[in-house]
Amino acid sequence: MRRAPSQQSTIDADLTPLIDLAFLLIVFFVLVARMSGEQLPAIPLPEPTAIAATPAGATRRLAVNVLAEDGGAVLTLAGERFASDAAGLERLASAIARRLRNDPRVPVDIRADRSLTYRAVEPAIDAITSAATQCGTRVTIRVCALQADVGTP
Amino acid sequence: MNADRAFNGTRVRLAMTPMIDVVFLLLVFFVCTVRFERNEAVYTLDLPQRGRTADPLALQERPLVIRLGARASGAVPIEVQADGLRERPASFDALASLLTRARRSEEPGADSGGLFVADHPVLVAPARDCGWQDAVDAFNAAVRAGFRNIGFERSGT
Repeated sequence: MRRAPSQQSTIDADLTPLIDLAFLLIVFFVLVARMSGEQLPAIPLPEPTAIAATPAGATRRLAVNVLAEDGGAVLTLAGERFASDAAGLERLASAIARRLRNDPRVPVDIRADRSLTYRAVEPAIDAITSAATQCGTRVTIRVCALQADVGTP
Repeated sequence: MNADRAFNGTRVRLAMTPMIDVVFLLLVFFVCTVRFERNEAVYTLDLPQRGRTADPLALQERPLVIRLGARASGAVPIEVQADGLRERPASFDALASLLTRARRSEEPGADSGGLFVADHPVLVAPARDCGWQDAVDAFNAAVRAGFRNIGFERSGT
């Protein structure tokens, strides 16, 4: 049965689903932001004068971070922490190798705190080399620095 | 703003308040999460391939080695060692100048008097107590000089 059109009908736009969707987007962005922060934590990278390095760009990369903590160094990879001892480095090499098997072309970046010594950073280089040997692939290893000449965007 | 519109006697009412709430929430989120980072730059290492030549009869080139000590009284001890070259530059700028002079020019006809081609292997050999900043400074000096085949010496080698 058809309803007779009323003279004064009101159409209300239901915004509740829209708001639900907006909140879902917010949750999504929060999670993505957290994940990208874990991959590339803020580290005071070395700042060479008259830098001759090439910009890192926005390409896919695997970042091994070497953080200065409690007078020592902690290595991280995608939010996972590894100790600098032999067992930790073995775990790190396996984790890098696992990712390299999935994507052999991805470059591996070393992002190390400038206040550290070479003694603290060298294990990261060793772990990456060990991972490359495990995979049998030719891996591109890169060292990250800050472009001091480039201003804040 | 009047959100009420009349079409042929039908009143359409849009509730703008929740929409504005959501927009402000998104705005606050982006303000909180945005990070102003300076651009990162990268140096490509020549590390795992060193020592593995395809031709077993090929001559192994002796690398040009940049030895770095631990920083003492503000200065970093730097020593450059290679065949026919042994010098102690006082700073990383002096190191870059020295390496530039040591590199053979690639321009046809130009004779810079340099001993080493740009692809000659260069090894940065920091002492274990050398700062990472200094190690990267030395690496940067070699890149500035035009060398393309640069790596870090490992303690085990």
